[in-house]
Amino acid sequence: MAGERTITLEVQRFHPEADEAPYLQPYTIPFSEGTSVLEGLQHIKDRLDGSLTFRWSCRMAVCGSCGCMIDGEPALACRAFLRDYAPGPVRVAPLDHLPIRRDLVVDQSDFLAKLERARTYLIPADERTPADGAYRQTPEEMADYYDYAQCINCLLCYAACPQYGWDQAFTGPAVLALVQRYDLDSRDAGKDARRAVVNADTGVWGCTLVGYCSEVCPKGVDPARAINQRKPASVADYLLGWLRPSGGEGTP
Amino acid sequence: MSRPRTYRPGMRGWWQRHPAYRRYLLREGTSLFLGGYALWLVAGLLCLAAGEAAYGQWRALQGTPWLFGLHLAALMAACYHAVTWLRLLPLTVPVIRLGGRRPSDRALIRGSWGVSVALSAALWLYLGGGWP
Ligand code: SF4
Ligand code: FES
Repeated sequence: MAGERTITLEVQRFHPEADEAPYLQPYTIPFSEGTSVLEGLQHIKDRLDGSLTFRWSCRMAVCGSCGCMIDGEPALACRAFLRDYAPGPVRVAPLDHLPIRRDLVVDQSDFLAKLERARTYLIPADERTPADGAYRQTPEEMADYYDYAQCINCLLCYAACPQYGWDQAFTGPAVLALVQRYDLDSRDAGKDARRAVVNADTGVWGCTLVGYCSEVCPKGVDPARAINQRKPASVADYLLGWLRPSGGEGTP
Repeated sequence: MSRPRTYRPGMRGWWQRHPAYRRYLLREGTSLFLGGYALWLVAGLLCLAAGEAAYGQWRALQGTPWLFGLHLAALMAACYHAVTWLRLLPLTVPVIRLGGRRPSDRALIRGSWGVSVALSAALWLYLGGGWP
């Protein structure tokens, strides 16, 4: 075969013990029609530079580990193909707005803590055992939350959110979309437990509808919609809080 | 346990990072023109309250080329703002059912354009003295 196609990847490097700040390192690698950016990175790690550090697992857009900035756009490295960036060079950097641990690996602890605080899991109204049988739900009831349930926690939406970039206290797109996912679920009764997170200044009101999060989401979650469709209810909580003598849990 | 050092990228020049950010700034920026136009109307009202001479001066200013240009810019900004605003409107609609179905984004956008055109026409007729 005449001349293998090659492309240069400019990969952002950073070693916490050796580097003051990140820098770009170019690697030229062969590629074919089906080579993903992730496979490109694996080629570099296996054959050119074993010190290059990045996360991956499923290599099929399911696990959400391989998110990074590819030519300035948040994307899953396993779902982006080098042919689309030819002739290159293509720049690969860690996800924007997140602290960099090493090379392409970012620190996810803030996201994970928020996920836990927001109680994004099913909170049933009463204790159930398998003997009670399965939950029943109509297709319409499932359609209300189904899109939001597709989130794979890849954090691309956080890398697309300037509000999160400015203020890490903002709960952010994916966690708020997951809150909405459970709040809209007919089997769930945990809305009150999640209300404080939603109604806070750092909750849905931290969003100014830039909308880029929904554009980059690889799973069609549409976090911008999840957050903003919740704002009317948040206003209602606020007004009701004024009427209730106790002040209500929902008041910011 | 001590955490390893991390590097936090700043937000300097953030709007240069993606066209989506610049579209957002443009959308929000148009509201400055709308605010300016509202202030100009308030100034007109104040002139009206101050007397005929002041109001006449305010009206005379309308004809100057630079004010005409500003009005034109405000009109264009208002149109852009309206289009983007109504395009985003479906995102802010809670999960509701009309006649057992969830309205589509398209129906919501068309419906709100209909309401907005009807209200504008009613206002136009009212100001023109043709209605009610
Ligand atoms: S909402 Fe989309 S972009 Fe954000 S973490 Fe979930 S799957 Fe990723
Ligand atoms: S490796 Fe699992 S999403 Fe890319």
